[in-house]
Amino acid sequence: MLKAENVAKIHQYYIALGITSFLIIVLLLRFFQLQILDFDQYSKKANTNRIRKVTTSAPRGLILDRKGKILVDNLPTYILNAIPGEISDKGKTFQLISKIIDIDSLSLVKSYSKYYRGRFIPTRIAKDLTFSQISRLEENRLNLEGVYYQQFPERYFPSLVRASHLLGYVKEVDKEIRENLKNPSDYEFGDIIGWSGLEQSYEQYLKGSHGVQFYQVDAFGREAGYVIDFPPLKPDPGNNIITTIDVNIQYSLEKIMDRKRGVIIVGIPETGEILGAVSKPDFIPDLFTGRILEEEWNDIINNPDKPLVNRFNQGLYPPGSIVKMITEAVLLDHPNFYPDSTELCEGIYQYGDRVFGCWNTKGHGRVNLTSAIMQSCDIYFYKTIAYYDLDKIASYFRSFGFGSETGIDIEREYIGTVPTVEYMNKRYGRFGWSTGSLLNICIGQGEILVTPMQVFNYTNILATKGNTFSPHFVMSNEFFSSKKPLLNDDAWERIIFDMNQVIINPKGTGKNADPLINGADIYGKTGTAENPHGEDHAWFVGWINYENQKYSIVVLLENSGSGGAVAAPIAKTVFKELIKNINLAEK
Amino acid sequence: MKTAFQYKEMPISIITSVAFLSITGLIVLNSISQHQESDFINNPFYKQCLFFLPAIILAFFTLLIPRYNIHKYTYPLYIIGIILVLLPFLGKSHANTYRWLDIGLPFKIQPSEFVKVFIVLALARYLSDHRIKMKKFNSLILPIFLVLIPTLIVMNQPDLGTAIVMFSPVFPMLYWSGARPFFLFLMLAPLFSMLTAFQTISFTVWAVVLGLVIVVSRSRIIISIILFFGNIFLGLLSPYAWNSLTKYQQGRILSFLNPEKDPLGAAYQIIQSKTAIGSGGIFGKGWGQGTQTHLKFLPVQESDFILSVIGEEMGFIAIAIVLLVIGFLITQILKRAYLSKDRFSSLVLIGIGTILLSHVFVNTAMTVGLIPVKGLPFPFISAGGSFLLSSFLMIGLILRLSVNYSD
Repeated sequence: MLKAENVAKIHQYYIALGITSFLIIVLLLRFFQLQILDFDQYSKKANTNRIRKVTTSAPRGLILDRKGKILVDNLPTYILNAIPGEISDKGKTFQLISKIIDIDSLSLVKSYSKYYRGRFIPTRIAKDLTFSQISRLEENRLNLEGVYYQQFPERYFPSLVRASHLLGYVKEVDKEIRENLKNPSDYEFGDIIGWSGLEQSYEQYLKGSHGVQFYQVDAFGREAGYVIDFPPLKPDPGNNIITTIDVNIQYSLEKIMDRKRGVIIVGIPETGEILGAVSKPDFIPDLFTGRILEEEWNDIINNPDKPLVNRFNQGLYPPGSIVKMITEAVLLDHPNFYPDSTELCEGIYQYGDRVFGCWNTKGHGRVNLTSAIMQSCDIYFYKTIAYYDLDKIASYFRSFGFGSETGIDIEREYIGTVPTVEYMNKRYGRFGWSTGSLLNICIGQGEILVTPMQVFNYTNILATKGNTFSPHFVMSNEFFSSKKPLLNDDAWERIIFDMNQVIINPKGTGKNADPLINGADIYGKTGTAENPHGEDHAWFVGWINYENQKYSIVVLLENSGSGGAVAAPIAKTVFKELIKNINLAEK
Repeated sequence: MKTAFQYKEMPISIITSVAFLSITGLIVLNSISQHQESDFINNPFYKQCLFFLPAIILAFFTLLIPRYNIHKYTYPLYIIGIILVLLPFLGKSHANTYRWLDIGLPFKIQPSEFVKVFIVLALARYLSDHRIKMKKFNSLILPIFLVLIPTLIVMNQPDLGTAIVMFSPVFPMLYWSGARPFFLFLMLAPLFSMLTAFQTISFTVWAVVLGLVIVVSRSRIIISIILFFGNIFLGLLSPYAWNSLTKYQQGRILSFLNPEKDPLGAAYQIIQSKTAIGSGGIFGKGWGQGTQTHLKFLPVQESDFILSVIGEEMGFIAIAIVLLVIGFLITQILKRAYLSKDRFSSLVLIGIGTILLSHVFVNTAMTVGLIPVKGLPFPFISAGGSFLLSSFLMIGLILRLSVNYSD
C-alpha cells in the first residue's frame, strides 16, 4: 500500500545512533559529577544546610480620607503556625493550645487541614490572636514544640464611618482564588487580596510585595539563620491611597440615612470628586475580617433588603422627573421651539388611543417651559415632545452619560438602559410597542433605568455646563473628562435658571430642599419614580453654590413616596450639614 | 500476504523497556505519595495508576489501525491538531496560560501533548508522498512551515518546553529523508551566530566551525563568502541589538526563555534539585528516605523533578539504569526506522524517537542544572495524564509501524 521506499542509508543510522548516545552520555557524566565526584559537598548540604523559603506578607497600604484621616488601617494580629513534622502528638498539642488561648480545638484542626501543604511547611492553625494570647502561649513554650507565631497585619477601621460599599473588603487567598488570578505568583495561601470596592480596584497600589527569607534549616527542620547566598528580601509595603472622601461629611450622610433605604452621593461637580457616598442598608466593615459572630453574618446574608449590594453602582432605578432637564435640552436645541409659549395642562392627555396623566391630576393650567420644570408638569412635555423620534431622545440621554459606565473607580458598575428603537423592537417585537412609549421616557418612566452614580454624573454635568470629570473616589489626575452634551450657552443658562426656580419659587416642587441660608444658592429637581415593585422611589438631584464653591448632591430613597415630600427635606438636611462642615473646617 | 497484525513480530525489547520505565515511575510516585495527606484523586500515585488503564487501551487500539489508514488520515489529524491547540485560548486561562482544555472531566487535558504526534505523522506523510528533490534547498521550506505553525501557537500558550519538543523532529526527519546536512546546518547557523556572540571564546570557536563547514561543503566561492560573513555580521550585530532594547523588553525576552519569573525562585529550584541528586550518591538514601524529597524542598517532584527523586533515593546506579534503558529504547526505535521497508513508517519512527529524546534531554538537563528551568516531564516516569496517554499513543504507533509487512 505504502509505495515510497525507505531511503535511509546505513551512515544516517549511525549518525542518529551517535547523537543519541552522545546526549545520553553527557547526561550520565553530569550525574556522575554530581553524585560521585561532588557527593560529599551535596551530602553535607542536604544534611546540615537545608534551605527553607519563607515568605513574609507585606503590610497593605492604608486608605485615607481627603485630609489624611485614616479610614482603613492595619491591625497587627498574630497567627499561629504549626510545623506538622515537628509535632509528635497533634491531638495533645491542639488540646493544650485550645486550653491556653480558649479557642475551640476543632477550629484548630479545621484550619490545619485547610492550610496543610507538607510535613515541614508552616501550617496556619489559628489567626487573629492577641498579644496576651501569644504571651500565654510563650509561657508554655516547652510543651509546644513545633508551634510558632508570626505577626500578621489584618484590616481594621479606626474611623467612625462605615463606608462599607466604597471601601470594600478583602479576602483570604485560598486555592480556588489563587488558581483564577492573573498573577498567581504574587500571592501565597493566606495572603489577603482586595475583593470589592476600593480594596479591589486599587489592589495593585495597596498590596505591596512579599518579603522572602531563605532560612538554613538543620536536619530536624529547625531554623538556623539565613542562607548567605540569598540575602533576605524585605517585604515592600503597599502604597497608601488618598480618597476624595471627607470623613466628616461621610459620617453625617450615614447618620442622615440611618434606618433608611437608598443612596446619597455628595461631591464636587467641577472635578467629579466624591466627598461622601452612602448606600443603605449597609454592613459593618468588620464583616469580612472574621471577627464577627455567625449570627450577625446570617442576619446580613438573609436580609431581604440586600445590604451587600452596592446601590450607587449596581442599583437600577427609573429616574422619574429628574431627567426632565434632558427633555428640556432636546426641546431647546430645536430652532422652532419657543420656551415662552404655553401649553394647557388639564391633568390628562390623550395620545393615539392611550391616555396619559399628569402627576397633578387637577392639572397645572397654562404652563411654559420654566413653569413646567418648576412644577414638574408631565403634560407640557408630552405635548411638546410627542413628534420627536425615540432615537433622537436616546442620543441626548447618552450625551448626559446614561446607558454607559461613568468610569467610577469601583468595579462592577451597571450601565442601565436607555431604550432606542432597536431595543424596543427587540424587547416587544416590531409592532409590539407604540410611539407613546416615547412620552414615558421623556419623563423618566418606562424602560429607562439608571444607577445613582450615573445620576450623580448627570448632576455634575448640569452644574458645570458639561465641564466635569468622571466621578471618582481616589485623588488622582488620571481621570477622564466626562461626556459632554453640545448645548449652546443660552440653553445651559435657561436650564440652570429653571432648576433654581424649582427651589426658590413657592410653586416649585423642590422648595422643601432650601435650607434658607444666606449666601447659599440652591439648584435642583425632584423626581418621583413609579415602579412596579411597590411605592414610588423619591429622588432629589441638585447642587448648592456656597462661597463660590459648588457641591452636588443626589438623594434617592427607595419606596418612600414623592421626591418633593421625602427626598427634598433630606437634601435640605444634607445641605445644612455640608455648610456646617465647611464653616467648621474654615475655623 | 499477511492480513492480520502479527503480534509475534512485535519488538519485545521496546515493550520491556517501556514496562520497566513505567514500573520505575510508579515505584517513585508511591514513595512520594506516602507522606502526602491528600484525598484519593489528588494522590499522584493513585492518579497515575488510574491513567495507565486508558493509556494501555489507547496503545492497543492504535495497534489495530491498519497502516494505510494511519497514512490516509494524517492531514485531517494535522488540521484537527491545529484546532486543538487553539481551543484553550477560547476558554479560561489557568495560571495565566492557555495550555489546558477543561471539558468537564475531573482533570484537564493538554492538547499539545497529542498534537506533537499528529505533526510527526503529517510531516512523515509529506516527506514520503512527494517525490520532492530533497537535495534542493527550496524543498526544505514547506516542511518547516508545516511544523512551525503549531509550534508558534504552542509557544504563545505560552509553553516553550512543549514548543521545543514539537519542533525538534523537523531537522532529523529532513535529514533522514535525504536533505543535505549542509543546508540544515545553514538554517540553524544564524541562531548559533546570535547566541554565541555574547562571549568572545564561544564566538571564535563558532566562527572556526562555521568556516570549516563552509569550506568542506565546497560551495561556490561567492556564496561561501556571503554565508560566512553574513553570519559573522549577524553575530557581531546581535549584542548591539540586545543593548538597544529597553530593560523591560529584555526582561520580557529573558522571562520568556526562562518562564520562572522570580530569579530567586528558579535558582532555588535548581539548587534544591542538585542537592537532592548529589546527596543521593551511588546507592541513594533508600526508597522513601529522601530528605530533600519528603521535606518538600524539592519542587514539582512528581513530574518535572521526578528524576531528582530517583537520584536522591536510589542513587547513581538507578539513574544510570534509567538513562541507559531509555537510551536503549530510543536506539531500538532508530534501528526499526532504519530497517523499515517503507519511507512513511521509517520517518514516523524517527520523528517519535526524536520527540522522546528531546523530552529526556531537556527534562534531565534541567534537573541537573545544565539548562534553565523548562516544565517538561520525563517519558513513562513523570506523573501526568495527557503526557502518559500521548506516550502510549507513540508506543502504539512504534509497535504498529515497526513490523514489516504489507497490508
